[in-house]
Amino acid sequence: MSGERFSSALENADDRIVAGRAADGDAAAFAVLVRRYTPMMRAYARRILPGSAEVDDVVQDTFITAWAQLPELENLERVKSWLMRITSRKAVDRLRSSRPHADIDLVEPVASPAATPPRRAEALASVAALSAALKELPDAQRECWVLRELGDYGYDEIAEELDLPLSTVRGLLARARKYIIVRMEQWR
Amino acid sequence: MTGEPDYDLKTLGVEPEELDGFTLEDLTDYLDEGRTPPNPAIEESAGCRLALDALERLRALTPELLAADVAAEPATDEGWVQGILAGIALDARAGRRIPLTEEVPGRDLGITEGAIRGLIRAAETAVPGVLVGRCFIDGEVEEFGVPVRIRLEIGVAFGTPIPASVELLRTEIAARLRTHTGLNVTGIDISVRDVSAPIVVAGGEPAWPEPAGSEPTREIHSLDINPEDNR
Repeated sequence: MSGERFSSALENADDRIVAGRAADGDAAAFAVLVRRYTPMMRAYARRILPGSAEVDDVVQDTFITAWAQLPELENLERVKSWLMRITSRKAVDRLRSSRPHADIDLVEPVASPAATPPRRAEALASVAALSAALKELPDAQRECWVLRELGDYGYDEIAEELDLPLSTVRGLLARARKYIIVRMEQWR
Repeated sequence: MTGEPDYDLKTLGVEPEELDGFTLEDLTDYLDEGRTPPNPAIEESAGCRLALDALERLRALTPELLAADVAAEPATDEGWVQGILAGIALDARAGRRIPLTEEVPGRDLGITEGAIRGLIRAAETAVPGVLVGRCFIDGEVEEFGVPVRIRLEIGVAFGTPIPASVELLRTEIAARLRTHTGLNVTGIDISVRDVSAPIVVAGGEPAWPEPAGSEPTREIHSLDINPEDNR
């Protein structure tokens, strides 16, 4: 295979093959993973750390950890969800270091009247509405919701990750959902 | 929804008094369980049905949110990729040290496991349409001359004649290892783990060439043909 054809084959290869090469030390294969999943990891980290300048640091740290730990990853075809897991762990670490632990906000979110999303095509408007509602949530509610719904965490995993009692996590999630569906109903 | 006039008239409520005594948490758990077994008290409550609909709409929207977020991220530029590669420890994959010759006092010649994996991967350049994935060297390689087996996974491009290509790759790897290492290779096991998506040829079904008289490849442990899984 010529160099160019080869790199395109690697660029298009499935996760298991690419991650397997990276696990064996092939930096070019690891670069493929970086290109493939950086946007998704950034987007996910941004939902956990909205408005933060640390999103790129989180993603970079994630890749460095991933490179070191890839040889131990048993299901190489699950590299994408594995990377997402490391991303949320790193993002949560940043949260912890940036605010005092006791800050489990009991405050209720306040909807700003100016936050009405533009009415475009229905689906787009709904996505924009959800996005806006999420931004209005207090941090702890948002973090729980993002880990559960975007990160596919179980309740117990969220409790462990955020170092909160399970009952608190359930309560935060219930309040987050309540707020989001009421807010979205208002925008429908 | 015929015969349920109040269904449309009711507005969405999220408190137990609006949900016939259920909490939104109960309804979320009920949805998580796939609404099975059906709970008539929930299913027959107009308030619960409205809230369930809202929760389901939200759930359906979540992947779209992530997709929209991803699309809004800037393209990954090459400087970013190179920055990450600069930060990783490339020597972390050296692995075991493998002697290249019989032990001779005062002389020491060896190669790393990582370098041997590199040699194995490089064999793919001789076999069109094949990409080597993970590979393992099984055996006590730290001792010269001990029998070892090579185990590797490959992906092949759709349309590649698999048995012939696997055979060619095996021959190529054996030759390279013989030339460059002192490894006593007793076998090379190759598993095809991925067949990449077919390239649609204009005016016909994509062909799957099968060379006549090719031997069944008993060394192929698993043959996962799932073009949909392939990105």
